[in-house]
Amino acid sequence: MKYLSIALLFSTSLMAASPEVVQYMNELSKTAKVQNSSFNGFDASRGKEIFTSTHTGKQGKPMACTSCHTTNLANSGKNSLTGKVIDPLSPRANPQRLTSTKEVAKWLKRNFMDVYAREGTAQEKGDVLTYIMKN
Amino acid sequence: MTKIVNLSIAALLLAGGVYLYADDDKREEHEHHRSTVVAKPLTPQEKATTALYTKECGACHMAYQPQFLPKRSWDKTMKTLDNHFGTDASLDQSDHKSIQNYLASHASKNDQVVDVRGAVALRISETPYFVREHREVTKKMVTQPEVKSFANCNACHTQALKGSYREREIRIPNYGRWED
Ligand code: HEC
Ligand code: HEC
Ligand code: HEC
Repeated sequence: MKYLSIALLFSTSLMAASPEVVQYMNELSKTAKVQNSSFNGFDASRGKEIFTSTHTGKQGKPMACTSCHTTNLANSGKNSLTGKVIDPLSPRANPQRLTSTKEVAKWLKRNFMDVYAREGTAQEKGDVLTYIMKN
Repeated sequence: MTKIVNLSIAALLLAGGVYLYADDDKREEHEHHRSTVVAKPLTPQEKATTALYTKECGACHMAYQPQFLPKRSWDKTMKTLDNHFGTDASLDQSDHKSIQNYLASHASKNDQVVDVRGAVALRISETPYFVREHREVTKKMVTQPEVKSFANCNACHTQALKGSYREREIRIPNYGRWED
């Protein structure tokens, strides 16, 4: 029952992702609950902190998600390592975003490694996706 | 600097094997009657693999033409994608396999290419051929923010994405055309 209510919460509040990605987030939510019994749903403000804070990345240098995606997700970003332009991350500005679970899972794995030098937890991934959807 | 500028795309794509230019030429002559007339059209499968390569290996920088490095270089790159020049570029198993095969089948035939330190070359920009071709390009031209590094081929070679590196297509940011 608990899972069901979480799932319901998603489908109503997070329309900025495709059904496939909403499904992916529901799975993240289940895992988050298993890993942390006090988990009580994803949170955009925690996601914002994950996205905007600076950490020692894979290269041992300060890195943030915003190093490449900038603080305004509706704008284009720039890969800080190569200089290549990155289309906006916000699904509102860029309808292609958050439409493929394969893409989302692949980039979250890579990008968490780059910024945090480890993979993100289910809760962190869900929080940051919730933040991206609201921007 | 008196070079033939108007090299064909195909010839340029052999650039990675330029060490064996003589051999390549010979081989080309041999194969001439067999291969010139009918260029086999790509099968849907081959088209899909090319698109996969372009998307995945073109996400952070341009998708380099596989012809610039030999198979053993690409194999090494594919084995170390989780730490690819300091970033994580890992792929799922199925895409990894398709791309590794794609690179292998389009690689330079010169398997002896080593980088300037004598190791299996991971960077095109560290192969002796590349270094020779770019010896007159100054450090400032490369390190300026609009270029960043030699890895950014298409910052200077305006048709690099199409596999064409002719001199008359070169525009170096803040410097312009390359005049001999
Ligand atoms: C080193 C540069 C870099 C950093 C740092 C970075 N990203 Fe990305 N990110 C990219 C690139 C490149 C893409 C793929 C670009 C494209 O598809 O146009 C991407 C794609 C994504 C996507 C996929 C969206 C979709 O559906 O297509 C998500 C989600 C994402 N990043 C989140 C993050 C988060 C969260 C962080 C911090 C933990 C982060 N990124 C840090 C470069 C970066
Ligand atoms: C997540 C980002 C990312 C992805 C995806 C990626 N690369 Fe890279 N690649 C880099 C970075 C960063 C560099 C170093 C750029 C620099 O030195 O300016 C690089 C450099 C290279 C170079 C060396 C260029 C030179 O000659 O200096 C090669 C070759 C290369 N990548 C091949 C590949 C292949 C093949 C793939 C697909 C399997 C791939 N890359 C996917 C980030 C990426
Ligand atoms: C800073 C600008 C710049 C960058 C970046 C750059 N090149 Fe070049 N490249 C040049 C210039 C200038 C020449 C011509 C040099 C000469 O003739 O002396 C050249 C020549 C070449 C040639 C020989 C062309 C001919 O007609 O003989 C090839 C092939 C080539 N570059 C490939 C590459 C590849 C592949 C990359 C990326 C891995 C790259 N270049 C990155 C500026 C650049």
